[in-house]
Amino acid sequence: MTSTIAITGLGAVSAVGGDVPALSDALREGRCGIAPLTLFRYRGRSSVAAEVRATIAVPDALPVATVRRLSRPDRFAFAAASEACRDAGLDPALRRAAALTLGATTGGMFESEEVYRRRQAGEAQRFRLSRLLGTSLTTAASVVAQTLGIHGPQATVSTACSSSALAIALAADAIHRGRARVALAVGTDSLCRLTYAGFDALQALDPEPCRPFDAGRKGLSLGEGAGALVLEDAAHAHARGAKPRALLVGHAGGTDAHHVTAPHPDGAGAHAALRGALAAACLPADAIDYVNAHGSGTRQNDAVEVAVLRAVLGSRLARVPISSTKSQIGHTLGAAGALEAVVTVLALEGGVLPPTLGLREADPGFGQLDLVPTPGRRSPIGVAASSSYGFGGHNVTLILARGDGR
Amino acid sequence: MTEVAVTGVGVVSALGHGKAAFWTGLVDGVSGLRPIRRFAVPAGAPILGGEVPPIAVTDVVRSAIGRRIDWVSLLALTACRLALDDAGLDPARLDPARTGLGLGSAWGNLQETAVFLDRLFARGAGNPLLFPNLVFNAPLSYASIELGITGATAMLAAQEASGEAAIAWGADVIGDGAADVCLAGGAEELSPVAHQVLRETQQMTSGVPRPLDPAAEGACPGEGAGVLVLEPLARARARGARVYARLVASPGGSVPAPVHGWPRAPEALAALLGPLVGDADLLVAAASGNPALDGVEAAALATALGGRRTPVTSIRGAIGDFGAAGALAAAAAALAIDAGLVPPTLGLVPPARAGLDVVVGAARRAPVRVAVVDGLARGGLCCPLRLEAA
Repeated sequence: MTSTIAITGLGAVSAVGGDVPALSDALREGRCGIAPLTLFRYRGRSSVAAEVRATIAVPDALPVATVRRLSRPDRFAFAAASEACRDAGLDPALRRAAALTLGATTGGMFESEEVYRRRQAGEAQRFRLSRLLGTSLTTAASVVAQTLGIHGPQATVSTACSSSALAIALAADAIHRGRARVALAVGTDSLCRLTYAGFDALQALDPEPCRPFDAGRKGLSLGEGAGALVLEDAAHAHARGAKPRALLVGHAGGTDAHHVTAPHPDGAGAHAALRGALAAACLPADAIDYVNAHGSGTRQNDAVEVAVLRAVLGSRLARVPISSTKSQIGHTLGAAGALEAVVTVLALEGGVLPPTLGLREADPGFGQLDLVPTPGRRSPIGVAASSSYGFGGHNVTLILARGDGR
Repeated sequence: MTEVAVTGVGVVSALGHGKAAFWTGLVDGVSGLRPIRRFAVPAGAPILGGEVPPIAVTDVVRSAIGRRIDWVSLLALTACRLALDDAGLDPARLDPARTGLGLGSAWGNLQETAVFLDRLFARGAGNPLLFPNLVFNAPLSYASIELGITGATAMLAAQEASGEAAIAWGADVIGDGAADVCLAGGAEELSPVAHQVLRETQQMTSGVPRPLDPAAEGACPGEGAGVLVLEPLARARARGARVYARLVASPGGSVPAPVHGWPRAPEALAALLGPLVGDADLLVAAASGNPALDGVEAAALATALGGRRTPVTSIRGAIGDFGAAGALAAAAAALAIDAGLVPPTLGLVPPARAGLDVVVGAARRAPVRVAVVDGLARGGLCCPLRLEAA
């Protein structure tokens, strides 16, 4: 369990663009991907979302009939995974032996809903529930494995909003255990009526684009997309001349065992995840130069998250820059952990910290915080934490460091 | 790597609640498949299903979650409690942070999803009380809350091998020394929605399922949950626990296959399974009576065995086919090692596919030192589990 894990490839599909360069540009420009919802009709408290508008390439290696059955998250996952493998320069032999882990929460729910809608509307002629067969959570990993020829150990995990942070953790574990030298971790999810109406019914959606950590925050903004990262034994990467874009130096999970929707009031599981990840990285809390927060924008989440950060970082928290990427690309649920890890790698690599958009006045209850304002900040950092808090109390923290070890 | 012991078995299936009902039923060749009672099956459609007898919520839930818990989560939680009880562990005395929980499911809560969406399309609003049950990891959340587990947790999905995937994850958690006790298994429900999907895709047999029979024409839908208690072998020995078997985590992998279907060429599967099955005394197959699965599985096993006459069995003829059935197959493998007894495959009329030595009729008494659950699933997945006598 002592391998150093290098991140040698990145891929991203999000509301601000169909690849990593588009995401990187949007982060630098402080561009917001949250806009009026167009993917489906919904009348409720909120009507905004971070939709993927970019054209997403479909895998040409698959039969036409299969491509027709692919869901949005299948397509997002394929695009992000392809980009990450290209970025890492993985040849077919490296891909074949690579492990594949994927985090997702709703699979092809958006496509399934159309089937349920037709059933409800009595359009019996045109609805077949068997369309659901193409919509299982596992399908996205099968699409990635079969199109890119990735045939090592494979796992699809679903722990709500921490799903793909867990996928990244499992990818690292596969390398630590010697099951693979290279592992591809993917997170993918699509907007759908189920989650939109569900979060709205829980009064968790902000009617306007979300404003994490703001005094006037009213909830989260849902988004969609996919993130992908190629993890690799650093010695293996070095030997083949692949340059690490960052290092994954520690990760840990923690479970609240408290409530199916609300976080533990003291953030017990999130606290255990952050402490555990630091311990795994053999780093003191003081080593953290930047926090890419879960920062969903709900009243409860942000309060718990700040309390956890204060408990671990102490008075130094006032000087540690924090931002919430969800203010730009929305809360992408199963993709959030992976997309935010990609953003954190970009921050480590470029020395530019992304902003928290929509911030007018930080919640005074949080005390002194260094919330990175629009349009972001040039500031070289060495070590960053990215946390994901999942519905049901499943939390994961990743500790990332600069690829050049500085 | 810490050696992993299986010290508890918790099962709910069409054969009843608990390990004894499951194992006695399997060994005696009892079928749990009966005309479906929980919902109306349309005229002319296959009527058999493997339904779990009703579970009283108050028997397994002591906290406030009992008011809302869904059927999939209740199946999972019941199996968790039965497994802990079987292992002689009191959930209240577990170290929360050193206890792990991994659950697998292929489809999750399809039925309440339909209820939620019907209301949404009819009235334009979602039901906030129902939504938490539709989150895919609801069974994991409910069980972690009810049992007070705060260590490593994961919900996994791997189509028909969802149970095996979760058990493999649990073996790694113990193997890494990340927990003292880890509950791992899977749960799946039989619902009207799932039944309709199977009808439309003509995957069900009109009669009894016939796993590994060349004349099989489809599977029979079932439901259930199976959970194993995993512990470091040394710790289990030290506390004097009954050790059913050692569990050896296998990396598994995938082979070329249609994204939504079964692999067509057995060679790659045989290559993956070959190193695991060479010294096996028992293979627990995924075979359900689905010709596409059974055909490729039988050919792959025959190739991997290379002429050895290793006994093969499948439990899906007795309890039906569902995403988490592999967790129950793993339970059966552990119990077979413990009892030195191989339960028969119901429905098969020999000769079996690919000339396999499939146990039929009476259970076969034979020492089982190594049992392998092959963990095949759609999309070319292979999540094998290897259990060895401790």
